[in-house]
Amino acid sequence: MSEGLLGGALAGRRVLVTGASGFIGGRLAERLAIDHRARVRVLVRGVAGAARLARLPVEIVRGDVTDGAAVAAAAAGCDVVFHCAYGTSGSQRHRAFVNRAGTRRILEGASAAKVGRFVHLSTLMVYGRTADGDLDETAPRRRFGNAYSDSKLDAEREAMSWAREGRLAVTVLQPTAVYGPWGGVWTAQPLAALRAGRWVLVDGGAGFANAVYVDDLVSAMLLASVRDQAVGEAFLVSGPESLVPKATTWRELYTHFASMHERAGAGFRAAERLVPMSAEEALAHWKSHRRAVPRLHREIAGALVGARPVRDRLMATRELLALRELASALLPERWQQRIKARMGATAVGAPPAPDEAPILPLSPDLIGFFAARTRVRIDKASRLLGYRPGFSLERGMELTEQWARWADLLGTS
Amino acid sequence: MRIAVVGCGAIAELQHLPALAASRAARATALVDRDLSRARSLARRWGVARVAADVGEVLGEVDAAIVALPNHLHAPVAGELLRRGVHVLVEKPMAPTVAECDAMIAAAASSGATLAVGLEFRFFDSTDVVRELLAAGLVGPLAGFDLRQGVIPRWPFASDFVLRKETAGGGVLLDYGVHVLDLLLCWLGDWRTVECRDDARGGLESDVELDLTFASGVAGKVEVSRTRNLRNSCRFTGEGGVLEVGVWDPDPEVTLRIGGRKAELAGRARSGGRAMTFGDAFTRQLDDFVTAVREGRPPRVPGSEGRRAIALVEACYARRRSLDLPWDAPPELTDWSERGASSAPVER
Repeated sequence: MSEGLLGGALAGRRVLVTGASGFIGGRLAERLAIDHRARVRVLVRGVAGAARLARLPVEIVRGDVTDGAAVAAAAAGCDVVFHCAYGTSGSQRHRAFVNRAGTRRILEGASAAKVGRFVHLSTLMVYGRTADGDLDETAPRRRFGNAYSDSKLDAEREAMSWAREGRLAVTVLQPTAVYGPWGGVWTAQPLAALRAGRWVLVDGGAGFANAVYVDDLVSAMLLASVRDQAVGEAFLVSGPESLVPKATTWRELYTHFASMHERAGAGFRAAERLVPMSAEEALAHWKSHRRAVPRLHREIAGALVGARPVRDRLMATRELLALRELASALLPERWQQRIKARMGATAVGAPPAPDEAPILPLSPDLIGFFAARTRVRIDKASRLLGYRPGFSLERGMELTEQWARWADLLGTS
Repeated sequence: MRIAVVGCGAIAELQHLPALAASRAARATALVDRDLSRARSLARRWGVARVAADVGEVLGEVDAAIVALPNHLHAPVAGELLRRGVHVLVEKPMAPTVAECDAMIAAAASSGATLAVGLEFRFFDSTDVVRELLAAGLVGPLAGFDLRQGVIPRWPFASDFVLRKETAGGGVLLDYGVHVLDLLLCWLGDWRTVECRDDARGGLESDVELDLTFASGVAGKVEVSRTRNLRNSCRFTGEGGVLEVGVWDPDPEVTLRIGGRKAELAGRARSGGRAMTFGDAFTRQLDDFVTAVREGRPPRVPGSEGRRAIALVEACYARRRSLDLPWDAPPELTDWSERGASSAPVER
């Protein structure tokens, strides 16, 4: 999005971004500082995670979003706050605490600092299990039943209540599956999974992905911070689903990722890494492998552990971290400590041959998630924000692939 | 030998203090840090009696100092110590600029004190072995090299000086880069030309690519990153084979492939019969420093050697251009009307 669309509305404004060492907040900070010439301040927990931010003309402030004093200091003097931070480490309970308490602290800090606009980054998951068919913001919010989704729902409710009570000019954005350079859940994790094993396409992958390229989401966030009609509103933000006749399916999305490996010379064809199953078959696979989880993990670990153990224990590859994240999403919590121990200091080796690659089981929750043919509407964002996705799946994936190759996620060169 | 540790950040805690505790020839007798509580807590743990907030307070009480301060303080603090005759082992990077390096070298010369630079990779066994393998011409005359070093940091930074231009003086090239550039200079001799591309956009670079040519005519590519985990190795391609060595590892695999054969010789360079650790490298570095002071000989990495990598980094910064990262550009807009879509967003 050119600066023109915002009319230079953010130029020279003091803006605070939380979660800027992450995927979405990081790209937001870049675009704010470079393309929109805002005076950007970022609140980061650790120094190590801020290396990528240090390349920008931004003010880096250290602190935890759950620390009221740190948050108040960071928000002081700001015109706009973007809250992108969420719990990414520690137990599920701690992550949920960061989502709830962190959001409350940042709302308090922003309010005390008399911040003009507040953009809260929520998630599609606040709608719980979604039905087939169109989904818009009039749909009821529901608990999904996991710590992330439920705590994000509470955080969104809290943020909206501040707007309703006129205490803060809050806008909530609910992105769908966000992918792109530096992405984790919908970029590095699928790439790592497809390298280590075969991926189950529930219902043949016919479910709707509602994928959105990170720059489109960031454009929507920028618009949300300046459009007066946005105050007190929540907006679903998806990709070009409602601009093109056909919805993007999970099969298309995963085929893109698998093809990146194929093109990079991983030694398998994209189709060999994708296993179409009905929902019942996927559930049966999950059931039969739940007991075999340790063995499966040996297989994944075997795929990851190359011939060369890494001596330098400070090292951990992004790919390995992504796979661990994936494991934590797929597997019961009691296995996770074991995985941690087993995969302590390992390097990424060659991917397993097609016929040896384990078929990664999907939990019942995920099976339901991938089966849904929910088409997320962006009409409201289009009408009130002037949001219009700029990236087709092909263009977004082209840039993602260039980044993934550069980041060595498609095999070491 | 009585040694002050000046600057009590992560490297002092994790490497210098353990190395001093294990040394028979030297001991830490003072810990200096602006943050006195940090100095006190490390002093308690390592049994050091004296703490001070300023290095001036311990002058006269120590023979030597390990300077592990933020980069911008290396030259002023080490320079002052050297002028007063205190021997100095200064952490890498020696200083952000060549002018500061020269000032430190001059300060050492004026008093006769020893100046050593903490480029501990020089003490890896593999560093010597690779130099000898190259000198022996096992892979024939060198045609080129390709060094890729990248680690997403998990270092337990005690301060955020590395994130700021005023205190760090440079980005990843000065932070990680000096180590690998020093290795290349040690292996291949003086450099001749350099081109530099990095990702800095008004701040400190986190990804760098260099096209580097040596006086010998050997040309190659260097990549340094603190946003990506790369293969962390240097590949030398000769007319008669390929030599590869890990560059971010005190016990790296060294691989030799000769004459286009499929089979390769792979092994590790070990003088002690066991895998070397970073701790071993810091211990060797300290021993070398102490022995150099005792015997009045130059240390393994004197100021003049530390300065070489800084001169190369400075040349890179002077010539830097932007790294082409296609996903970095401001987004372009897709024209949906060409894609068979409705020309306006669908209204409900």
